[in-house]
Formats: sequence, structure tokens, C-alpha cells
Amino acid sequence: MRLGFVKTFVDASAELIGEVAGPSVKMGAVSMRERPDVGGGVTTVVCLSGEAQGRVIFDLDILTALQIAKRMLGEPSPGLTPMVRSAIAELASMAIGRALSRINDSGACVTMGPPVVLAGEYRGENTAGFETMVAAVMTECGEVRINVSIQDLH
Amino acid sequence: MQTTAGGFEVGKSRLTCLIVDDSAFMRFRLRRLMDSFENVIATEASNGVEALSEYGRLRPDIVLMDIVMPGLEGVETVRRIRAADRTARVIMVSSLSYQEKVEEALAAGALCFIPKPVTTEALRDAINRVLVATVV
Repeated sequence: MRLGFVKTFVDASAELIGEVAGPSVKMGAVSMRERPDVGGGVTTVVCLSGEAQGRVIFDLDILTALQIAKRMLGEPSPGLTPMVRSAIAELASMAIGRALSRINDSGACVTMGPPVVLAGEYRGENTAGFETMVAAVMTECGEVRINVSIQDLH
Repeated sequence: MQTTAGGFEVGKSRLTCLIVDDSAFMRFRLRRLMDSFENVIATEASNGVEALSEYGRLRPDIVLMDIVMPGLEGVETVRRIRAADRTARVIMVSSLSYQEKVEEALAAGALCFIPKPVTTEALRDAINRVLVATVV
């Protein structure tokens, strides 16, 4: 796993989350795991292809998702509505898109697919067969866990 | 040439806009921003195929187009819209803003590119620019 790529994903995500969820963002623990740290209740997966293949997974608990969605939508939601899920998916998509823009402007070629929001049954199965870097981002709305599982092909 | 209360310089009293994004949130967000400008009528499409159909039906003044969408993605959709209507005015709206992708979108016929997350100012500026741009 190219650590420069991982750092770019985490930095861009923290930056984007700060813009959306409030500027008071702190980096929490960073760890390497055999499988993604998920199960908070709202999980968004974005698949990557190109020079680095794998996926980036955003995982939040429901309360954090509702708080972030409230800021993105400009109004509270009664629960985990499709619009709340869409807002969180877009948050992940914007963060990863920003990271990929930096990575590709540095000469690499990595592309992303549309974000997929998963229901509660997902437990982070390690189907790809490689490790995951997990970074916690502490926001005013709660914790966002960013899981980066990528295989560098070069 | 008229100037609307929203600050647009347009040649007619109303501005029609087609918002194309697979994200329900982004369509909601862009519609809200467009609604904050006066005299704008916005419609939506959630994918490239739907966008082609809606563009042909409505011939909007401007199109706001996402890039990453399932099925027919944004750049190819722009290419097809412009092939059908050389006067189409398309603004790409995407978080994928690396140079090669921006150039690809512009080569396909987009007139302007704004990165997500979109601000009111960036959107207003982009619309003003594409409305005065010469399209061939």
C-alpha cells in the first residue's frame, strides 16, 4: 500500500469534512487492521480502480450521520432517511474525489466509482485480501472512521 | 440584454436549468442554490440517459452536469448533448477536478468547470460566464 496515497485520502477527507461539518476537526487514532472498522450504522463504500485498486469506506454512527446531514441539508431530518444517506454518500464522494484529484495531478491514474451506501448487514468482509488503514476523524458532529484498503499496482 | 435580480445577464426573462446528478442530495443542494436566484426554473435528471431525454425535451438555457454517475457518465453525456445541439451551455460540477479530467470535460463541450462542494458565488460566477460565452 502506497502510504502517500493513504495520507492523501485521509488529509483530503479531514479537510472536506471540516468544510462540511464544522472547522473544528481533529485527527484521532490511525491503525492498520486486517479488515475495515465498520458497523457504526451508516457505511459508504467507494471503489477505486487504476494504479491503485481497492476501496475507501466511510463509517459513522447514526447520530453523527444525522448531525452532519443536518449541516449539509440546512435542516434536521427525522431519521436515517434516503436523503440523509445520500448526503453522507456525497460527503464520501466529495472527499475521495478531492483526494483523487491531488493524486492524479501528481502523475498517477486512479479512478473512482459512484458511492454505495450499505445497510447494517455489512461487517467489513475482507474480500480484497489486503490490509486496511483506519483513521478516525473527530468532528463537531461526532467521529468519522475512514478505512483505506488499496493495493498499489506499481 | 436583461439582468435578473439574481445577477444573471440573460437575453430573456427566465433562465431554465437542467440539474444532472445521481446524488439526490446534490440535486437538492443545487436546486436550492438555483432557487436562491430569481427567475430560474430548474429541472432534474438522475443519470446521463435521463439527461439526454430531458435536454431534448426542454432545451434548457444551461445544464449542471456531474461526472461520476452509474451507466452513462457525465463527460460522455456532455459529448452527446453537444453533438445534438452545438449551442448547449454546460457547466461541469464535480469533485474530480484534476487537470486531465477538467480538460477532458472541456474538450467534450463543457464551457466551465466548478468543483464540489459548490458555493453560491462559484455557481453564480459560472452561470454568468457560460451565458456570455460564444458557443460554436
